[in-house]
Amino acid sequence: MNATFHAELIKLRRPRVLAITVAISFLFAVGSALAVVLPAAAGPALERAGGATEAFSTGLGFTGILVFVLFIANFAAEFSQGTFRTLLMRQPRRLSLVAGKMAALLGFSAAALAVTLVLTGIASTLVAVTQGVSTGAWASTDGLADAVGDYARVSLSWSAWATLGMALAVVVRSAPIALGTGIAWSGPFEHLLQDAWAGAGDWLPGLLLESVNGEGGGARDVGVVVVYVALAAVAAAVTLRARDVTV
Amino acid sequence: MTGTPPPSAALAVGARGLAKRYGTRCAVDGLDLQIPTGAVAGFVGPNGAGKTTTMAMLLGLVEPTEGTGSVLGHPLDEPESYLRRVGALIETPAFYPALTGRQNLAVLAAVGSQDPRDIPGVLELVGLTERGDDRFRGYSLGMKQRLGIAGALLGDPDLLILDEPINGLDPSGIREMRGLIRRLADGRRTLLISSHALAELDQVCDWLVVIDRGALVYQGPAADFGAGSETSVVAVPERQDDLPRLRRLVLDAAAEQGIALADVRLAGPTLEERYLASTNGAPR
Ligand SMILES: Nc1ncnc2c1ncn2[C@@H]1O[C@H](COP(=O)(O)OP(=O)(O)OP(=O)(O)O)[C@@H](O)[C@H]1O
Ligand SMILES: [Mg+2]
Repeated sequence: MNATFHAELIKLRRPRVLAITVAISFLFAVGSALAVVLPAAAGPALERAGGATEAFSTGLGFTGILVFVLFIANFAAEFSQGTFRTLLMRQPRRLSLVAGKMAALLGFSAAALAVTLVLTGIASTLVAVTQGVSTGAWASTDGLADAVGDYARVSLSWSAWATLGMALAVVVRSAPIALGTGIAWSGPFEHLLQDAWAGAGDWLPGLLLESVNGEGGGARDVGVVVVYVALAAVAAAVTLRARDVTV
Repeated sequence: MTGTPPPSAALAVGARGLAKRYGTRCAVDGLDLQIPTGAVAGFVGPNGAGKTTTMAMLLGLVEPTEGTGSVLGHPLDEPESYLRRVGALIETPAFYPALTGRQNLAVLAAVGSQDPRDIPGVLELVGLTERGDDRFRGYSLGMKQRLGIAGALLGDPDLLILDEPINGLDPSGIREMRGLIRRLADGRRTLLISSHALAELDQVCDWLVVIDRGALVYQGPAADFGAGSETSVVAVPERQDDLPRLRRLVLDAAAEQGIALADVRLAGPTLEERYLASTNGAPR
């Protein structure tokens, strides 16, 4: 697992990948700071402890689906390109192969998220200063605790989306089918069900993750999400072990 | 018709009753395999005979429906105990398109916990040194194949399993491959090579496994396969000037001895030899 972790890092630490990641973080930070802080300039709404990372948590609320899609695409590509077969001939322990790769990708996502958090804080402060929003409360212990909470919530929901995406790709193995199913389910399908079934928001994984991310989800919602994630991981592990790798 | 099997301790690959069924189709049907350590074994059979499936079972990619076997002295169902010493290329080489050849090998070396310092050496061996820093996406078919072979050579394996290794190689690539195989066949390392290019296999293999529809047709020393079925005498004079006289002599002597000749002709270099004389090798 350690070896596959490092192998995946070789791919991730290429200058091009790092540059694109930092560029996206930067654009996100500037964009969300402008979008969240500018409208607030007129009132005192943002002049509380969590103000600095308000842009971060608001802006990232909808990126879960994006992470889901990226993980589906990444893992399904291993099968459709045949690279999974190439790697298996070097490391036949399939679970450890996938676990190592997953750990590297999650670590990379967590790092990218941390960079984004810091950049968003800086951008928000700059915008606030130019707009005369008081940032006195932002640097307090409460403000820091709020930032840590935001970071934890987003990385938790990213990890959940990532695991669901990985599992779907491993079970389906075809990039177009996995992407099609994943996008259709998490997008239109769950929201249509929501109209027809009042309990949808309490039970469907995509909707639950939306509410966890939007600060509306309690411990019970997080618990149900954890169960979904665990089931998905088990399904992925079982299919990985059982199925032949012929392509 | 099977050659005398060597003692099992000297087997690099041994299998008994190996079978793989996909639904009702039998891809491999009760194969008994014996490949002696140090052999260069050719693996031949028509399309769909089960060569790739057999190799995939030896590599832990496909689980046999039935049968047992061993690779380098370890049981077939514990691939983690022997794959470190096996290098393989199965079907088309599969690498990350966005990574360079060198980066792809670095990923492979990391996954197999092998020394990344071997990478320049294997790139050199397959003639890809100059293109090593280009992305895999931009490689020609033959360059992809060469990178696949380079990947198989990482870690100096004791057993090389190559599925159609000369697929897509140009004539000089094929000749380099032939040279490479001869160099790799040092009597200690075992090679199992599937190919439809029988003339090529003929030049490098000392062991032969022939299968058809998943079942064994022949297995044993390559020279014993179809022995006694030779059809002609080839006589090559040392000096080309002697060619007309030699031809005359053969005709006269045959007539004198009452041997009816079906064909006597002068043969030139093969197309391959003429082609190689007019181009120079490395991929560009
Ligand atoms: N995943 C699979 N599902 C169903 N049938 C399969 C699968 N893989 C192989 N087969 C069947 O198994 C048989 C053997 O295939 P295999 O690829 O091993 O042949 P081969 O000897 O390598 O042929 P070729 O010379 O064309 O490469 C074929 O009939 C093929 O259709
Ligand atoms: Mg084949």
